[in-house]
Amino acid sequence: MLESRSAVLKLMQNQACKDRCIDRFPPPFSRQFTPYRQHDFSSAVREVCSSPRQPLSGLKISKAIFLGDVAVGKTSLVNRYCHKVFDRNYKATIGVDFEVERFDIIKIPFNLQIWDTAGQERFKCIASSYYRGAQVVAVLFDLSNMYSLSHCAQWLEEALACNTLQPIIFLIGTKRDLLSSSAYKHVEEKAACLAKQLGAEYWAVSSRTGDGVHELFQRMAALAFDMSVLRDLNTLNTTVSIGSQPLSVKPTQKKENFKCNGLHCQ
Amino acid sequence: MMSIKLNPQELRNSDGIQKVCEKIASEEENVEKQLETLLARQCHLEAKLRSVTKALPNLQIVKTDAQQLSQMIAHTSTLAENVSAKVRKLDDARSRVSECQQRVHDLLDLQLCSEGVKLALQEEDYEKGAAHVHRFLSMDQTLLRQTADDVQQDCTAVTNSFSLLHKAAELLQTEVTSRFDEAVRADDLASVERFFKIFPLLGLQDQGLSKFSIFLCSKLQETARKNLKSALETRSADKRASVIYADTLTLLFEGIARIIEIHQPLIESYYGPGRLLTVVNALQEECDRQSKLVMNEFRKHRQLDSALAQIADWLRNASSSASSSNLSGAATAQQNRTDPKNLDLLLGELTIMHARAEMYVRFIRRRVQNDVEVGVPAEITRELLMDKLETMLRSSGLCHSMQALLGNYLQLEHYFMAESVKKAVSMDQLEDNLQIQQTSSMVDDVFFIVRKCIRRAISSSSLDGVCAVLNNACSLLEADYCSVLRSQLRQGYMSGYLDLTQAYNALQSSLQQGRLQASDSEKARLKFLAYLNNADVSTEYIATLRLSLGEEMAAALPGMTDRDRAKLESCLSGMGGVTASLRALVEYGMSQLSASAIKPRVSPWVDAFLNVSHILTEEEFSGYEANEPFVRNLVANLDSLLSSFKPSLTPTNYDTLVSILATEVTHQMEKVIAKSSFNRLGGLVLDKEVRVLVGYLTNATSWSIRDKFARLTQIATVLNLERASEISDYWSSEPGAIAWRLTSAEIRHFMTLRTDFRSEDIKRIKL
Ligand SMILES: Nc1nc2c(ncn2[C@@H]2O[C@H](COP(=O)(O)OP(=O)(O)OP(=O)(O)O)[C@@H](O)[C@H]2O)c(=O)[nH]1
Ligand SMILES: [Mg+2]
Repeated sequence: MLESRSAVLKLMQNQACKDRCIDRFPPPFSRQFTPYRQHDFSSAVREVCSSPRQPLSGLKISKAIFLGDVAVGKTSLVNRYCHKVFDRNYKATIGVDFEVERFDIIKIPFNLQIWDTAGQERFKCIASSYYRGAQVVAVLFDLSNMYSLSHCAQWLEEALACNTLQPIIFLIGTKRDLLSSSAYKHVEEKAACLAKQLGAEYWAVSSRTGDGVHELFQRMAALAFDMSVLRDLNTLNTTVSIGSQPLSVKPTQKKENFKCNGLHCQ
Repeated sequence: MMSIKLNPQELRNSDGIQKVCEKIASEEENVEKQLETLLARQCHLEAKLRSVTKALPNLQIVKTDAQQLSQMIAHTSTLAENVSAKVRKLDDARSRVSECQQRVHDLLDLQLCSEGVKLALQEEDYEKGAAHVHRFLSMDQTLLRQTADDVQQDCTAVTNSFSLLHKAAELLQTEVTSRFDEAVRADDLASVERFFKIFPLLGLQDQGLSKFSIFLCSKLQETARKNLKSALETRSADKRASVIYADTLTLLFEGIARIIEIHQPLIESYYGPGRLLTVVNALQEECDRQSKLVMNEFRKHRQLDSALAQIADWLRNASSSASSSNLSGAATAQQNRTDPKNLDLLLGELTIMHARAEMYVRFIRRRVQNDVEVGVPAEITRELLMDKLETMLRSSGLCHSMQALLGNYLQLEHYFMAESVKKAVSMDQLEDNLQIQQTSSMVDDVFFIVRKCIRRAISSSSLDGVCAVLNNACSLLEADYCSVLRSQLRQGYMSGYLDLTQAYNALQSSLQQGRLQASDSEKARLKFLAYLNNADVSTEYIATLRLSLGEEMAAALPGMTDRDRAKLESCLSGMGGVTASLRALVEYGMSQLSASAIKPRVSPWVDAFLNVSHILTEEEFSGYEANEPFVRNLVANLDSLLSSFKPSLTPTNYDTLVSILATEVTHQMEKVIAKSSFNRLGGLVLDKEVRVLVGYLTNATSWSIRDKFARLTQIATVLNLERASEISDYWSSEPGAIAWRLTSAEIRHFMTLRTDFRSEDIKRIKL
């Protein structure tokens, strides 16, 4: 538990650790499997973050929720990233767990709140109360268990029903280490197809080996940061003309609807 | 020393010889120098030699001493080795002797034991018999046999004793077991305890504990059954009827606690500490069974499942019509829905059940922890045992059913809160006179409900439960409640009457004329203001709520870890989002109010400025100065406007209004000034008038709004100049100079309004 730091302590740091500093826009798992096509932070974001008197108030916080069936590896993924540990033994999450990761993104402090929910049905009521206001929805499935993939759409739908603003969506296949590369290719085809349908960015990771975990969270933080700053800029501009408009602003960002290329999707 | 090698080649000619000669000469010089330095050191060296010679005899003494010492040490060491070998031997011998003694004792005791056991069995004195067996079991039997051989005694006597004692032990085991079972059957507690104490003497700790646990469980089962039966027979008129299942569950937990209280000392003194976990494991299994029975009856009689099914329906409808789930359109649709009030008691009972289970689990944890701490010295083993306990508790039926119960509670509470708030909104009432009550009834009602729900969640002692209810409350307030406020404010503050006094008068007269209902537009206006106040008061309520909840949680869940606190804090901070939404609403409402009730009214008042000339003669000036007709009128108008709103707005809203009004007035004043021309005296009057205006408005509010008048005051200063060139005195970069809000172009522009300033002069000014 060398790296285990309490959430409060992380919030109090005045600088993020080296591996939590992001200056270059992190790439997706694969350019093919993402609706987020930008190659860099949005120019408006770069501009506002590099200006000496940036109008963004307070410390930026984004909320990410991790959803998925029982034992697909939500907690393992979060623990691998936040505490650099992996435990073979399964210990069901009770209710919901909470972590905060502090980043410095293009020199701006940024906190990612990670809500690791329980997959068991009897904790649904607790978990679902956290869905609202999530800027990132990460739906996880076990690459070695196709059954868990088939529930992802349902998980996402429930999370989206609670949100008026479109969050950033990830579809994450876990336990990559359990599959041979040929078996993996087969699953990836199906999962990437579903990701397209859901408008999600696809990732495959292993919490046991750590494969892809760091890259995933970097990407998640950067996308969340970019969106959250853009939204702030939007509200700054809309408050002036608020009288004639409804107060909640629908996102300007369009959800890219892209078709599956000749793959069969259920 | 001679470092020069003579090369015969070089000596062939005189030149060569010359060179070699020079070389030799310089070498000679060198050697001479070296010799000199050596001679210089001679004295020093001699002194050294003298002191060495003095020290020599002393060294001789030291050497002989050292040799002696070394001999002595060598001698001592051999001596010590000899002695210590002897001591070791002695020790060995002594321990063998005591071992031998022990064995002799054992042999003697063996005899005693085998005789004693026989007698004890005959007399049915099981304690004595068991004590003999216990003694026997503590002996090393193979060693004893050897000893018997060694002392050339006949080994058969010992072997006989062994077989006798073995037999006796077996006999005692069966006897004690059957006696114990008999006592259990006869419900003879004293005998149960008597035989329970004998098991460990016979080396049967595990068996004794497990048998005893079974006995305790059967007792538990018996009382639990009785309790459940009497619960089911409780009449509905009974005081405790509404929480009877929570009571029954509590009785079960208390029963277990009592069993542990009573029997732990017994277990500890006869079986040793560190044994409680075994018993707790067994008791937990019974607790799981019994609590399940109670829960089943609870679900059935409280019709929990049908309530949950209804709510699931409601949730489905709510999410399918998410956008149209406007609270104000409530009353019409689904009528056959459960009145949230009917859930009140059930919700209360659910939270009590959960809290009691939490308390019970805490009790168990504490007891086992204490027991383990006393009985298990190794920290690793301790942790292992505590882990075992945690795993057992986590996977216990009780924990699972409590987690399910908490889920049910949250669903019901979600429904209760949403529907009660909806009801409060639909029953919203407004005093006809906002001076009596500035908000409508729903603010107090809504916050009463929200607070009640959160407090109830706190009483469940579940942090996750509290967080979930908090989250739901924030959603409800930010989405549904705010949208009710917004839709009212969106309708705007319809103008038509000049001010509120007229609106009240109209209301009064319509009441006097027997029309009981005030006209719709009058009502709408009052409602608008009330909702503006609602939004403002709500922000205050949220701030208080947040503060008090933080404290209440700390008191209700004292065992919170840092991580728990961070979790709670981030849920509490969700309330910040609600406050931000409410603030935006107030701002929005104020802009509506300003558009319909302020701008159109202020404009003609200020425009009156254009009706009078600002090019004044001395005579006109003194006349004007005496009455200040324009500004007095303006202030009087503003005053009546403000005082008509003042009693109907919350202090914060009123201050906001004054600040908006100030902005509007200065803005319009700037416009009319720009349209007028002034001479010196006109400028003087303007300056005075601006002072009066600013004085009035700054006094009208507790906020500091002087800054809003900076431009206007500066314009007046510019127009009040004696000479055009005088401006340079004000326009300076020195510290303490005026911080200009006017650009130099604007200053020039305003100066052109002075008819007596020549444009060349103005141009010439350096700004
Ligand atoms: N081989 C392998 N096993 C993994 C990996 N990630 C998780 N696991 C195992 O999968 C099991 C479940 O992991 P968790 O992370 O607890 O699952 P969860 O999704 O949090 O489950 P709930 O909290 O009950 O919803 C554990 O036994 C992990 O050791 C991985 O990348 N590789
Ligand atoms: Mg988990």
